[in-house]
Amino acid sequence: MATWAPAPNEPSWSCTQEVMPHSAGRSGRRTFHPRTMAQFIRNLVEKTPALVNAAVTYSKPQLATFWYYAKVELIPPTPAEIPRAIQSLKEIVNSAQTGSFKQLTVKEAVLNGLVATEVLMWFYVGEIIGKRGIIGYDV
Amino acid sequence: MAPPVQVSRLIKLGRYSFLFLGMAYGATRYSYLKPRAEEERGIAAEEKKKQDELKRIAKELAEAQEDTILK
Repeated sequence: MATWAPAPNEPSWSCTQEVMPHSAGRSGRRTFHPRTMAQFIRNLVEKTPALVNAAVTYSKPQLATFWYYAKVELIPPTPAEIPRAIQSLKEIVNSAQTGSFKQLTVKEAVLNGLVATEVLMWFYVGEIIGKRGIIGYDV
Repeated sequence: MAPPVQVSRLIKLGRYSFLFLGMAYGATRYSYLKPRAEEERGIAAEEKKKQDELKRIAKELAEAQEDTILK
């Protein structure tokens, strides 16, 4: 087999070879039909950066909105905020003791229940992280 | 886009404390279950070996005892 190296500006494959058969249909879409495993790998390696770029460009605005909300809503509490948080907890316990929680509307109570459920679910997310598996312990 | 809502401190504290509690619980339970599962696997493998041995003996006995000339 003759070995040849492409010139510096020449692509490592050229259309004149029978390496990449493609068909340009009426819409001009190119379809690739690699014939061997080597051609498949070559296809993959050449198309991956384009795919990755497309994925990044698509997800950037969504990532930006996520970051925009997460910067305010998802940050962990600073140590200075913790006493205020404990204060609110005491208020809740107080309202449970004095019975003033009965003054809440049903809608408020349902919302509180949902928020409490969400807070409790973070425990299970932490457990997933701790046991390093999504379903079940992988012993 | 709606402006981000200021989450109450209690909720934030609760979320992150539950997260860390959950991680600790998962890790400790995993380290508790792992040696037990290995022990169980060892016992199961031994049992299987014994059963295979018994089956082999039984098979050889059966083959020796059957009296067919069609072999």
